[in-house]
Amino acid sequence: MSFDAVIIGGGINGLVAASVLARGGKKVCLLEQSGHLGGLAAPGPDGGARMAHLLYNLSPLVRREIGMDAHKWPFKLTPVSTVALNPDGPHVVIRGQKAQLADGSAHPEAEAYRQLNGQLIRYADILRGLAEGGPLGIEGRLSSISGLKELWRLGRIGRKLKRIDKSEMRRFLQMLLSNAYDLILDDLKDGPLAGMMAADAVRGGFAGPRSPGTVFSLIYRMGHGGEVTWPEGGMGAVVTAFEGAAQKAGVDIRLNAGVARILLAGDRVRAVETTGGDVIETKTVLSSTGALRTAHMAGVDAFDIEAARRLRNIRVKGTVAKINLTLTKPVSVAGLTDDMCPARLVLAPTAEYVERAFNPAKYRQMSEAPVIEALRIDAQTFSLMVQYAPVDLDGGWTDAAKDKLRAVTLSALAPYLPGLEDAVAQAEVITPDQIEAETGAPGGHWHHAEMALDQLLTLRPANGMGRYAMGPEGLYLCGAGAHPGGDLMGLAGRNAARAALEVGK
Amino acid sequence: MSLKSSYDAIVVGAGHNGLTAAAYLARAGLQVLVVEKNDWIGGAAVSRSLHEGWTYSNCSYVCSLLRREIARDLDLPKYGLQVIPYEGGATFTQDGDYFAYYSEKNALKREMARHCPRDADAYQAYNQAIMRQCRFIRPFLLRDAPDPTSMRPRDLGEMAYLVKKAHGLGKKELGETLRFWTMSIGDFLDEYFENDLIKAHLAGPGIIGTGLGVYSPGTAYVLLHHYMGDIDGGIGAWGFARGGMGAISNAIGACFEDHGGTIHKGAGVEEILTKNGQVVGVALEDGKEFYAPIVASNMDVKRTFLEHVDRYALPLDFTKAVERFKIRGSSAKLNLSLDRLPEFPAAPEHASFIRGDMHTSESLWELERAYDDWKNGTWSEKPYIDMLIPSQIDPTMAPPGSHMMTVFVQYAPYDLAVDGTRAGRNWDDAHRKAMADTVLDQIAIACPDIRDRVLHMEVRSPLELENEVGLTEGNIFQGELTFDQLFFNRPLPGYSQYDTPIKGLYMCGSSAHPGGGVMGAPGANAARAIIRREAKHTRMKGYAA
Repeated sequence: MSFDAVIIGGGINGLVAASVLARGGKKVCLLEQSGHLGGLAAPGPDGGARMAHLLYNLSPLVRREIGMDAHKWPFKLTPVSTVALNPDGPHVVIRGQKAQLADGSAHPEAEAYRQLNGQLIRYADILRGLAEGGPLGIEGRLSSISGLKELWRLGRIGRKLKRIDKSEMRRFLQMLLSNAYDLILDDLKDGPLAGMMAADAVRGGFAGPRSPGTVFSLIYRMGHGGEVTWPEGGMGAVVTAFEGAAQKAGVDIRLNAGVARILLAGDRVRAVETTGGDVIETKTVLSSTGALRTAHMAGVDAFDIEAARRLRNIRVKGTVAKINLTLTKPVSVAGLTDDMCPARLVLAPTAEYVERAFNPAKYRQMSEAPVIEALRIDAQTFSLMVQYAPVDLDGGWTDAAKDKLRAVTLSALAPYLPGLEDAVAQAEVITPDQIEAETGAPGGHWHHAEMALDQLLTLRPANGMGRYAMGPEGLYLCGAGAHPGGDLMGLAGRNAARAALEVGK
Repeated sequence: MSLKSSYDAIVVGAGHNGLTAAAYLARAGLQVLVVEKNDWIGGAAVSRSLHEGWTYSNCSYVCSLLRREIARDLDLPKYGLQVIPYEGGATFTQDGDYFAYYSEKNALKREMARHCPRDADAYQAYNQAIMRQCRFIRPFLLRDAPDPTSMRPRDLGEMAYLVKKAHGLGKKELGETLRFWTMSIGDFLDEYFENDLIKAHLAGPGIIGTGLGVYSPGTAYVLLHHYMGDIDGGIGAWGFARGGMGAISNAIGACFEDHGGTIHKGAGVEEILTKNGQVVGVALEDGKEFYAPIVASNMDVKRTFLEHVDRYALPLDFTKAVERFKIRGSSAKLNLSLDRLPEFPAAPEHASFIRGDMHTSESLWELERAYDDWKNGTWSEKPYIDMLIPSQIDPTMAPPGSHMMTVFVQYAPYDLAVDGTRAGRNWDDAHRKAMADTVLDQIAIACPDIRDRVLHMEVRSPLELENEVGLTEGNIFQGELTFDQLFFNRPLPGYSQYDTPIKGLYMCGSSAHPGGGVMGAPGANAARAIIRREAKHTRMKGYAA
């Protein structure tokens, strides 16, 4: 068996990379270790949401390049309203950029929120230019073709920057490096609205809102407009669409085919050996699993000692546990007249609360008062992201620890969802270590590497490996651990595939 | 001395940076007046005698960052400045052991190997990495930070210098530099070392003076900020100024007066006077007014613009940006008169390291928890302490046989939380005493007899630092050293070159680039900017020009 390229991992980035390569004329094989596609986006048995549960960063550029409809997604996306839960007062309902109180009256900070949010979205739009390509940086000589291309991109981003005025550009350069806590509280009073933004800034990360660099992670979320959406038909519909695109492009997709080793001939990729013992010959391998795991597949000998050290030092500690709730009877949100479905309930009463929730994670403990993003899919189905549940929990994620997390979560939500605790039919807890085991996402972290300023752009996943190619010739990283990062965006896979195609030319 | 009513330039505040700016201006031939609210000069680089026979370096306590170009330009040794390097330091542990730091590299290697042989091997690589960063950053300290949005030739020139320097690092090294600048000191140390105690000892300078924890991104830079100085060419070395830190300010002040400058003490500035967007002088609290077309403020940016300049003279978005400037008190200070040298039961006889900086924090987690306490509005239950006994090296600090101890305490919030309110005024005698007790408990880990040795103790919470020195919230750097407030963002985007929206009004304190520490660089850089823009008939002279 021989292919032009083998893709390791059938998550969104793996599928996108496979499609782009296949559409570029390559004969491509995709190997997925589990029995289904989707990775972190893979649906539960009901087709709903098992791990990832919302879409806000899907890239239309990717959609066009993998041959889906140029104008719309093949699944319907419903905008999801956000409810910032308030323990002592009316909840805040956010639709688009508009913040209102649950009783329908105007939120006193609606205008301040609209302005801040709008500013972040404008800045995110500028940064998207950086995501839609390899990390900036001129590798060759300035006069070379690649040098000119880079200059062209730089010029385009510069043009976007030019469109905003000088004082805003200065503010942009300052804000980007700042921390979410200060940014938010400069403009908003600490309360549910500020708490919701702070929670969004750190979701998935090993950081509290006071950690410098969290404004970047907040902006990253807003790279595609910032609107949070739910796909009709659940995450299953999304995965099916990406799978369909790959199949249409002619990708040979193989399930239950984990990769044991990447075989080398000298300093270049020769073949891939599956856990079943099959050897697939190829000169190009794109891996969408973690950078370190990929390096282990190829053998650490294939990397110089500095590169190996850097790979080992990638910071990647997952902090989010998923709890999927099925209820015996409908449960509504107290204080909400409108029975919103789907709705995103955010339990983060203040930005301070979010920071306090982060504190125990630093010492390998779970939050006693967690930050929760609860997606109310219907009145009897809730999908919860619970933070912070550090992957390296002291004592490990035993059944007792999971029970504690479940209990802490349910009792935190109980005041807002009366009758919840009695109505639970099933509460599946998926901890970061399980996420890692099931999907190969290192540390159970959905960005495969912490989205911190020291792990971005050419430093992602590690210094010297920032352009998708890593170690032996022909090996590329195409997962969220590569630039620009995760969030079911697809750009890492797309950029990596293009980098591989470029070399093959 | 009789005072004139008008000058070429007035400097508000006789901190070391204000005096440095004033001295450079006077050397360039300007008639300069420095006004100071206290009856003494020096700001936070000050020596005071609060207990008879003893001299305290009340605020700053050790010296390294003072730029040697400035010391040479202002001839500071001639005016009495003598810096004596100290060697080594230690972290003492609860169980009666210690980790000693020696500047002699074989001794250090042996000591590290005693705790962890692998860390002893790793240290060389670690030290090289830090030194590379030091070498990279040092040339920028006495240059202007370019405005990246500007197309002026000067900014483009500075930008080109930056690009050239960065390019000169090489691709990989540039990556490492970007990483270093944005990561936390905890993560950085974790990459090299295994031993908790060694990591804790090395992490200290990454948090001193900041409102960040050892695992907050950006603290690796703060560490660098403490390493980029030198004494007699020894990069990263620290020392005592003979006679206390006030000796630095006094020497700069003497140089200034020698060049014809005047210092007016004992009356603070009430208002910086402006007229039609141009500064015209200052009005003092005692009713006097002095006039000059140039005023340089050594006060921090918040104090300058929110308290001493007419708001209506400032653009609204500027005022808003000043209000957003982060300046948080996070440290306190104990100054102690001791009847004799306390005992260090853990230390071998004649140990050299007790003459250096001593600590008692045993792990990065302990340091991080100390930060969590601060976030909650209390002083740390187990604070990081940086204590020294300078009188062992400098006999002028205490009577023969007795000693002076300086203890820097991290973290202590400015806005102490008491009964649900957070405010600086909550720092009363009872709370000060309670904090001092906590700190003495920490000192007792190293010297159990400390309480019996104390003859006099000065406890300085962030509130005292604010009230006496004028540092807002008692922040020792006049503004957090986070990347959104460094380089071209310091103190505010668009105003990183010492200028302000008011013509003739300049900033010369450590709110400005390159920031805090007894460095003198903001003062010298401000003087350079002032001479370039306002005094075209003359030139700045010296290495810092």
